[in-house]
Amino acid sequence: MATRDEQARQIAAYAQRKRVSGTTRARWQAWPGADQAALFSLLQDLQCGENHLKDVLDWLEEIVARDERTIADILERRELRRARATPGSRNDKLKAVKTVLRKIRYPRLTRLEEHVRQAVKALALGRAGQISFPPNFEGDEVTVTLTARNVHELRDGLSRLQQRLDDGRFQRVFDALDEV
Amino acid sequence: MYQPTEILIERGEEEAPVVQRALAKLPELPVRIVEKNWEQKEARPSGRDPFGAGKRRLFFTRQRARFLEHCPAGTPGLVCCNYLVVSLISNCPMDCSYCFLQEYLANNPILKVFTNSDDLLEEVAQVVDRQPWRQFRIGTGELSDSLALDTLLGFSTDLVPFFAARKNVLLELKTKSDGIDNLLRLESHGRVVVSWSLTPPAIADMEEHGTASFAERLRAAQRIQQAGYKIGFHFDPLIEYPNWETDYRQALEQVFTTVEPRGVAWVSFGSLRITPSLRKVIRQRFPQTRLLSGEQVLCEDGKWRTFQALRVKMYRRLITQLNSLAPLVPVYMCMETAPVWQKVFGRAPGCDKDVARSLTVPNLGHETAPAAFDTQSN
Repeated sequence: MATRDEQARQIAAYAQRKRVSGTTRARWQAWPGADQAALFSLLQDLQCGENHLKDVLDWLEEIVARDERTIADILERRELRRARATPGSRNDKLKAVKTVLRKIRYPRLTRLEEHVRQAVKALALGRAGQISFPPNFEGDEVTVTLTARNVHELRDGLSRLQQRLDDGRFQRVFDALDEV
Repeated sequence: MYQPTEILIERGEEEAPVVQRALAKLPELPVRIVEKNWEQKEARPSGRDPFGAGKRRLFFTRQRARFLEHCPAGTPGLVCCNYLVVSLISNCPMDCSYCFLQEYLANNPILKVFTNSDDLLEEVAQVVDRQPWRQFRIGTGELSDSLALDTLLGFSTDLVPFFAARKNVLLELKTKSDGIDNLLRLESHGRVVVSWSLTPPAIADMEEHGTASFAERLRAAQRIQQAGYKIGFHFDPLIEYPNWETDYRQALEQVFTTVEPRGVAWVSFGSLRITPSLRKVIRQRFPQTRLLSGEQVLCEDGKWRTFQALRVKMYRRLITQLNSLAPLVPVYMCMETAPVWQKVFGRAPGCDKDVARSLTVPNLGHETAPAAFDTQSN
């Protein structure tokens, strides 16, 4: 376990190497020592710079405020340890860790996203049909795009859409948008 | 009572009635006479919290711009209720962690009191008296709490008689205080709505610094209603946190076991909304806050809000409960989009005037049905 001074030096060296701003570093170093160390350990795997680090700091601090746990506790969670152990590149690890952290930070929003994703998948529209939603599901418009190279493809696509309307699968997409 | 560290008076305003009233209440404080536009030349309060420091200096000056303005909630894309605002005070002695003034007045945080309330009344008279067929709602709670300083400044004694004498305008005094003593001595003739911004005690105690407690606000509401005033309640900001549902349900129950629903002019709900730069300020000034830990997303108008499906659920739950406790009380949402109105009420107002109309029919005894929107069942 690093001493307080060693830890401060390690964090300073990381901040310098990754061009982390003084404000972000000060925020990190304002945490209790065990939390600073837990994040430092995570960053050995992720090696992320200012922007990703700010997301991680925001989410961790917000989870702490909500759940009244320590940052070290959160970073010890099994799903995060699994994400850290993701094989592949540093970017793969970073993506996996951020996905898990975001899920902890936004449990209902990520659940809604998953329900919508499943409802869209169940439409099985293939490459010709695309469904898109407003950013963060704000608003009430769902955009359906049908791509066709000729009349036959268009007829097929429309017929598939009609079938999905009739069997309730489209209704399921709209319902999923309101489910929390 | 609010205790500034210093009183500053613009030269020439020493004899203004509001200055005299304040000096009589705070005889011990140092007073400095300053030149016109002093605050523009004076360096901003410095130190770790210039905004907080600004609140502790009380500056009496003239308002040289217009007093009467449209409520800034009338942002494109959001349903607006055609509300007008006037400000006799800029900045607020209270210090709510979510307050937009922290960003809005960041460069001008000194607590300013405008001495020319007569100009304000003349400006309002020119607008409302020329259109006697129109109903207006005007509030003073935009750039400050309407009543937090009333014991000291006594503005209500200027405002209430003026509005009480007019049939086509309602004055709303919006507050988180219990400073109603001056009001109890005045006659409102049904033209003044005293409204309280409410959050459940758990939030009020943690996030609304320097305000009256939830229970004190409710007691004040009860007393002012008994004195013949109409009252209103604003659950704004509506805050999502782990126990929101139980806490808000209990808060609504307490409201309607304390006050008489007849005579409640309106209840509003408005989700917490925070710009990215206000988020930074909140983090800095209130590092212990739990406000930012809700499931908020960045919306089209550039503000963070609880994501739509969740805030729709919150509105539905609370408005359904409100309807069961006080079915005839008009209810509206503040700074919400038409799709959210549609999901919560089953329809969106055709135009801004629809909302305004539903709120200018006073909810007094319900001789006429209030034009409230029905709530969709949940």
